[in-house]
Amino acid sequence: MNEFVETLLELTWHEPKSSYDVVIVGGGGHGLATAYYLATRHGITNVAVVEADYIGSGNSGRNTTIIRANYGIPESIRFYRHSQKLYSDLEQETGCWVMHATKGLIWLAHTETAMRAERARVLLNTACDAQTVLITPTEVKQLCPQIDLSGGGRYPVLGASHHLPASTARHDRVVWAYAQGAMQRGVHVLQNTQVTGLLRDGDRVVGVRTSNGDIAAGTVMSAVGGDVSQLAAHAGLRLPVRTHPLQAFVTNGYGQGFGPIISDTELLCYISQTARGQMLIGHEYDRESSFSLQSSFQFLQANAAKMSYLLPFVRDLKILRQWTGRCDVSADFSPIMGFTGVDGFVISTGWGTWGFKAIPAGGEQMAELIATGTTPELIQPFALSRFAADHAMADQGSTGTR
Amino acid sequence: MRFALDDQPVDYLDGDSIAVAVVRAGQHPQHGGALCLAGDCGNCSADVAGVPFTRTCLTPARPGLRVRRHPAVGGPPLRLDPPKNPVASPAQTSVQVHRRHVDIAVIGAGRSGTAAAASARAAGHDVMVLDSESGFEVVGVYPGPIVVVRTPEHMLHVHAHEVVIATGAADVHPVCEGNMLRGIVTWGAADILRERSVDLGRTVTVDLTELARFDGIDGQVTAVVFTDGRSTPCDTAIVTSATRAPRDLLARMVSDPGVSVVGPAAERYDLPPCPTDGIVCPCSKVTVGDLQMVWDKGFTHLELVKRAALCGTGTCQGGVCMPHLRAFVTEKSGAPAAPFTGRPASRQLTIAEAAADVFLDPFRRTALHDEHLKLGAQMDRFGGWWRPWNYGDFMREYWAVREGVSLGDVSTLGKMIVSGPDVVEALERLYPTTIADIRPGRSRYVLLLNERGHLIDDGMVCRESDDRFVLTFTSGGASFAEAWVRDWIETWGLNVRIMDRTISLGAINVTGPLAGELLRRVGVPESPKFLQHRHADVAGVACHIMRLSFTGEASFELHHPVAHSAELWQTLMLAGRDLNITPHGLQALFALRLEKGHVIVGMDTELDTTPRRINMDWAVKMDKPDFIGRTALARTADLPDHRRLFGLTMDGPAPTEGAPIYVGDRIVGHVASAFMSPTVGKAIMLGWQKHSPWVDTVTVDGRTAHVTDTPFYDPQGARARI
Repeated sequence: MNEFVETLLELTWHEPKSSYDVVIVGGGGHGLATAYYLATRHGITNVAVVEADYIGSGNSGRNTTIIRANYGIPESIRFYRHSQKLYSDLEQETGCWVMHATKGLIWLAHTETAMRAERARVLLNTACDAQTVLITPTEVKQLCPQIDLSGGGRYPVLGASHHLPASTARHDRVVWAYAQGAMQRGVHVLQNTQVTGLLRDGDRVVGVRTSNGDIAAGTVMSAVGGDVSQLAAHAGLRLPVRTHPLQAFVTNGYGQGFGPIISDTELLCYISQTARGQMLIGHEYDRESSFSLQSSFQFLQANAAKMSYLLPFVRDLKILRQWTGRCDVSADFSPIMGFTGVDGFVISTGWGTWGFKAIPAGGEQMAELIATGTTPELIQPFALSRFAADHAMADQGSTGTR
Repeated sequence: MRFALDDQPVDYLDGDSIAVAVVRAGQHPQHGGALCLAGDCGNCSADVAGVPFTRTCLTPARPGLRVRRHPAVGGPPLRLDPPKNPVASPAQTSVQVHRRHVDIAVIGAGRSGTAAAASARAAGHDVMVLDSESGFEVVGVYPGPIVVVRTPEHMLHVHAHEVVIATGAADVHPVCEGNMLRGIVTWGAADILRERSVDLGRTVTVDLTELARFDGIDGQVTAVVFTDGRSTPCDTAIVTSATRAPRDLLARMVSDPGVSVVGPAAERYDLPPCPTDGIVCPCSKVTVGDLQMVWDKGFTHLELVKRAALCGTGTCQGGVCMPHLRAFVTEKSGAPAAPFTGRPASRQLTIAEAAADVFLDPFRRTALHDEHLKLGAQMDRFGGWWRPWNYGDFMREYWAVREGVSLGDVSTLGKMIVSGPDVVEALERLYPTTIADIRPGRSRYVLLLNERGHLIDDGMVCRESDDRFVLTFTSGGASFAEAWVRDWIETWGLNVRIMDRTISLGAINVTGPLAGELLRRVGVPESPKFLQHRHADVAGVACHIMRLSFTGEASFELHHPVAHSAELWQTLMLAGRDLNITPHGLQALFALRLEKGHVIVGMDTELDTTPRRINMDWAVKMDKPDFIGRTALARTADLPDHRRLFGLTMDGPAPTEGAPIYVGDRIVGHVASAFMSPTVGKAIMLGWQKHSPWVDTVTVDGRTAHVTDTPFYDPQGARARI
């Protein structure tokens, strides 16, 4: 019996009903967290989370688990900083061990332009209480002795920003922590139930059509990843969202010996060591949009090479597994949360490569929005209506690895 | 012949794998666990020559090889001493990649693979057979299809029209109490060991359905206990089974019309009995008790059991546990459980092996790269090019531009010739500015907008004749702009020819109040007037001279065939020696242009920057019938707008670029560019206010800054016209 198994809490399954106050489409982190906060913060438990496969089977189980708030616009820093704080308290609040570990994130710069970006990041992060400092190459070396500061002669390290509270958590266990807490309070989670359409009463959305029959709902929330454009189309909505594959890989498990998370704007890739000792390497999403979940060798080859320049010791590590998720990228690279203009239908999407870190805050804020019928201040900047108003929440500099 | 196992010598016979030799020596490559010796499990993996997780059953023994067991608990240590040479590693100094193009790649040389290969050959196809026993370990089948293979000597990338997966089926491992003892082998492994004349001592053969448990002392099996209670002493326990496990990891990895699965790999075998005790996943040390516990906690789905117990997530990717895990879930749920998804890598490869022969984008150098180095430039990469950041002292370079003469390498600018009967119409649609009234020999500054009316680039339009123009774009935007212009002209179906000259032309900017004097010394008695351009020889090099100004001083861009760049540069430097000519880098250029209030697209602008937001409505002619972005600008013209770029000044040193701009306690924007201007005597900035009503006084870096009209320097623009 191992610690990993012993510390799991129980999932309580229920027989499905034909009607709920709230139906959340998508049993990933965001959907389950919203259900959890509806139950715990607002006492709303007549809620179903409808999942096409099994809970956490989408991007929640495919991401690279980095929790950070070192964004480039104040609205984003505040939102993710709030999420970071909710993450820090998550184990205590839910009683679930999610393997939350604070590691610090080193964001490397190889050019003067990149240094300029990191200096700017530090200033704005500091102004918004996100605890990011500028560090010298020597300090980088102290935090990460394995690094080659010459970058293999190709990517010299000029400096870096160091985001101190950056952390990781076990992705599946975050999903289960929210699922367990919600289900324990009476939320129904319906696995293997595919949503095939939305029920309409005039313009209003009044439920979902599923592979297991219709379910009526006071409010329907989309928390799906990958298929969000198709779901929104059932409500007559066209979203400014493109879906791209996002790939990552891990090595076999080695002894612990790599403390921080290293990220690189120019190389668009990042690396950390998991609690299981695996070196986890991720990258910016694929340039071409696609719904494919197939991994490519070109991805593996390019990222293996890039990491070898920065961290030569990785060259002898054995690659265990690579995989692919789908990320929904909005037109301004920031999430879209809130009302849609269609009665009874709210949305949380555009999570791109940064959805995992947003799970607690996204869930908490969407729960408040559903419970109160008004948009909480923290997520007002991320409303869908901003695109028509031509007010982008543009933070391309902080997407993915940037 | 010997190799070292944990620093102890191990003898081997010619042809032994490491694992066979270790078993021959009465030992185990790990600390226990059944061996298949066929590459299906991870129970023989060890550190071989510095590379942990190497399957010793597939690695031939070699004299002097150093083999280390992984620790009994936890993973092998991470190497903390990086090799000196970044492109080499201790184990693999260089990895070669071979490539093969074949009609059909058959994976597996067993019965089904041999049959598939034979029939493909009979049909006249070029066939390659890949089998791990012959040293071809298939890492993965990728879309294409491409089969990535590692061999003892090199990596092999096989591009095939069709891939046939004929990997056969594997022996099922025992899962019961005592299954991690030493001395347990599968039927297939026993065959291999006997063939290699390894003394197995007393053996007992047991069928999986009759196996109750293994007994042992000090980690070594001593007896097999059968389900009927019999106990038979042994040195080696051989496990047989009527059922087998399809080797279908590759088959589960890819769905591609070019990939098929044949033979036992595609077969549905009966599952073994539901396990009741023992280690079900040796890679992650997951017990049957773990499976039971997660099941009891509600993880009642094969994928959830896998993820909750971490079963099947180790080296063998389910090679050992899959049939048992499926048997467990099938029994508990009462419904047949399908296998989980297969993902690369089927056989592990090192990061060095994956990286081998990769192509990374090159960093581009201008023809003047060596000239910059000779002058002591600190080079930096900007917009995909190596460019001089400074030549040691950027303020010296700044003053050379302001008071003398300076050279800047602007070869990286996008340069394009467009011509043809419809060229004016094309440019009118492409740019928001009026084009038709530019006279030949004149030029105009232009913005480039996308359909949303957002700024994507800027540059110059120089008219050469009625139907011929030269366009310039920013260095970073050049390659995008080329595609953009070409695609739009194609879309409109206009009769315009496009020739990109970004690479074939070099460009040197001669700038400063003495720039005209320098040109006179190299054969240009009468230089063009501001915003004029013409062709002339400069020091014997055919140049297109464009007079404009980004620095704020008189500036002449000399566009010339790139083969003559170095000679032109050297001639200019020599001719300007007594004028104290000093080249300038990007750092000085950024300061100079900031004094003029010129924005740099991408540095000062953002994703949704409209001309209005940077106060450049003057560069947009909404009365034109159409141009890219016009519809969007018309739609958004009356919307509330809260974003504006302002010129700002304040006392004291320049703030760091990116510094937040406050109104009271509220962050309203950030400083995009900043410089402590000696000519203005203050810190000057371009900064965003993103919350209206905009105010004239803000706080930056704890100091008060005032909104100030731009240009900060020479607002009348007299100096550019000297």
